[in-house]
Amino acid sequence: MDKQTYADADESLYRQVLPNGLTVIVVPKADYHKTYALMTANYGSIDTRFIPMGSDQFVETPDGIAHFLEHKLFEKADHDAFDLFGETGANANAFTGATRTSYLFSTTAAVETNLETLLDFVQDPYFTDQTVNKEKGIIGQEIQMYQDDPGWRLYFGMIGNLYPTHPVHIDVAGTIDSIDKITPEMLYQVHQTFYQPSNMTLTVVGNVDPEAIVSLVANNQAKKQLVNGPFTRGVETDTDIATILPYRVLEMPIVQPKSIVGIKGTRDVQDDFEGLRYQIAVRLLLESIFGDSSELYLKWYDDGLIDDSFDFEYSAQRTYNFATIGSDTNDPAAFSDAVIDVINRGVDQPELTETRFKQLQRAALGKYYQSLNSLEGIANQLSAQSFGTSTIFDFPRALNSLTLEDLRQVAQEFLNVDAVSVFHLLSEGE
Amino acid sequence: MRIELKPGVHLNIIETKQFKTTRISIQFIAPLAKATVTQRTLLTSLLETNSADYPTQANVSTFLESLYGASFGIGVAREGQVHRMSATLNLVADKFADATLLPTAFDFIQKLLFRPNVQDGAFDQATFAREQENLMQYLASLDDDRQTQAALALQRLYFAASPDQAVPSFGELDALSQITPASLYQYYQDVIAHDQIEIVVLGDVDEELVTRLAEQLPFGPRETVGSLSFDQPVIDTVQNQVETANVNQAKFNLGYHVEIDDFGPKYFAMLVAESLFGGSPLSMLFTNVREKASLAYYASSQLDALRHFMSVQTGIDADQQPRVLALIAEQRQMIIDGQFDEARIQAIKDGLINARVAGADSPRFLSNQALFHALTPGAPTDLASFTAKVQAVTKAQVQAAAETMQLQATYFLTGANNG
Repeated sequence: MDKQTYADADESLYRQVLPNGLTVIVVPKADYHKTYALMTANYGSIDTRFIPMGSDQFVETPDGIAHFLEHKLFEKADHDAFDLFGETGANANAFTGATRTSYLFSTTAAVETNLETLLDFVQDPYFTDQTVNKEKGIIGQEIQMYQDDPGWRLYFGMIGNLYPTHPVHIDVAGTIDSIDKITPEMLYQVHQTFYQPSNMTLTVVGNVDPEAIVSLVANNQAKKQLVNGPFTRGVETDTDIATILPYRVLEMPIVQPKSIVGIKGTRDVQDDFEGLRYQIAVRLLLESIFGDSSELYLKWYDDGLIDDSFDFEYSAQRTYNFATIGSDTNDPAAFSDAVIDVINRGVDQPELTETRFKQLQRAALGKYYQSLNSLEGIANQLSAQSFGTSTIFDFPRALNSLTLEDLRQVAQEFLNVDAVSVFHLLSEGE
Repeated sequence: MRIELKPGVHLNIIETKQFKTTRISIQFIAPLAKATVTQRTLLTSLLETNSADYPTQANVSTFLESLYGASFGIGVAREGQVHRMSATLNLVADKFADATLLPTAFDFIQKLLFRPNVQDGAFDQATFAREQENLMQYLASLDDDRQTQAALALQRLYFAASPDQAVPSFGELDALSQITPASLYQYYQDVIAHDQIEIVVLGDVDEELVTRLAEQLPFGPRETVGSLSFDQPVIDTVQNQVETANVNQAKFNLGYHVEIDDFGPKYFAMLVAESLFGGSPLSMLFTNVREKASLAYYASSQLDALRHFMSVQTGIDADQQPRVLALIAEQRQMIIDGQFDEARIQAIKDGLINARVAGADSPRFLSNQALFHALTPGAPTDLASFTAKVQAVTKAQVQAAAETMQLQATYFLTGANNG
């Protein structure tokens, strides 16, 4: 078992790849009462097109199938896995993203029992026509609920602008029509391909002994006949600025209009140390320009152009990366124009000074240490990076290796007006 | 440990090396009143935005960045019949900064709370105008979130006879426009002079240093608030309200009166009964209404013990509303009739205890717990006592608790075409 210690953060990380290909990651937290475990498949809503294990033909699966599978995996012939966790007092949950699906529990007792439950229910699918059809009602409700959520409509509106030809623009849950096409056979097929052990990781953070955890998981896996095999993903990296829809608008029955500007990343960001450095650099760049200690933020706030809902973020996932800058505002056009003016300045940003860079670097390091209070935070981040070669604990090294010059270079490339798009959400009838 | 600094001003210190942060919170506690909640909310915005020594929010943010990325905010909350404003500073523990940060942190808090941006007996006009406008916009757009809309509408309906309880803890539009920079500054002085103060500090800190720093905050002696608990009489006729809006998913919320004693057996029985009814993923609302009947995307209950109030929230297809109502009533009746097995009750109890144990991993939970214990002397202070009292709840007590869940109000938000 590989062990890394991080003296600066007072943390250690254990990592072991089992004979069947499953990667186990453990971070012991002796002071804590809780244990949090996540089992994650490198499979999300964008992976609708692929060549399945044991085939040589591409198949197209319905939008929303990864999320549907996540819901359905809990139900077995004679029980619901959810109840097995609940019987020990543990909490269980699951979530599907664009590139990953995770199943998790948190508990303060019976860690071993719950770990066995987690491994067993995720690796032992059971689908029938009846159970699959019943789920369509529940997920249909979920899809409808999100349609009423203005913040969600704005964010997905922007993703649709930036990625009209990449499947990330499709709702993770699919549509009422698409999920209606899902059958047990399809679910078995995607499970066999994407839930093979070598395409999954198990992350455990909490009051545990790493040796004991790995040995428990190894014994559990040794009893199962799980098959690994090659498969091909059909989704390709999208850094193409030609496909961007520059502007769309949506009206909803709301009082508060919203505006968002997106920037499509034109570089393929990998899940390695260089990729981590790049991501931190983009975030520091955005913080320098738009952060709440910036001149710009103060001016916009004082002018009433934005309020404290103003936010910016950068997301880098398998096959795509982008930034968004958005706010509630009574003048959506003025807001997006102002943001585009700033992007248009490229590397010529008054906030890119050595003093400010050092200050933000120090603040970022402090925030990083503070974030390690949360078991869930550590585990979610480790799990998100578990198919790459960098981890959350590499953050200080990556951060400290950056210079102002690095930020300038990133600004030069990333602040590209040709990669920009705008989405407005307006009150109906205005 | 809890130290009286002055009458009505207490310091609570939780010494622990478990976390990588130090958390300092100053709680201002006053009786809940419709007449003051909106002022208190606007006041928190003004106090956290700038001050005499940090005249812009960029100045405030720059200071927090220099304090190793610390975060500061002031929020409002309601606890039964009291209202609290909480100013909280989270900062990295000294060992990760290689410096003693507490004196700087307390100095910052003192400047923000005691030296507001005031000229000629009134809050700074420009700051006031902006924050009033922002709060107005926030309050005017609450209904953009349909779950919030339904929850607030149910609260208004349920507490129709108790105006202080009917109003949201963060205020209301009507009252906002009447506040002026001068009137708010007057109210601020009232808060500083009269609100009960609880200071909570959690982290790897030196007790003597913390005490010395807390003593320097210029709070004078003051009164303390009384019991937190609020109750209103049960009414015989259920109040129903229907509203229509252009929504895809309908919202159906229900409000119940519940009988609870102050942390006696009825309180613990209700914790278990509510968790079984709708408060946990093992609950009957989740398993029977959401999962088995496939009738809702969400269906859960929430217990507000200090107000003897339990609410149920569901997201449903509008035409299913009568079925959902009947099914929810049926779940309550099943508990009353004892139609649930002992194993489920044990799992529910284990879940409540698990959540309590897990709270010990959260600085916020631990701080709030210290505060809650300071305000409600009867509450069990230690895990062992909480665990014993939860485990002691019997099936008969759970049945009796469910019988006291009396439906008082329902609120239905439905699509324009289904209304």
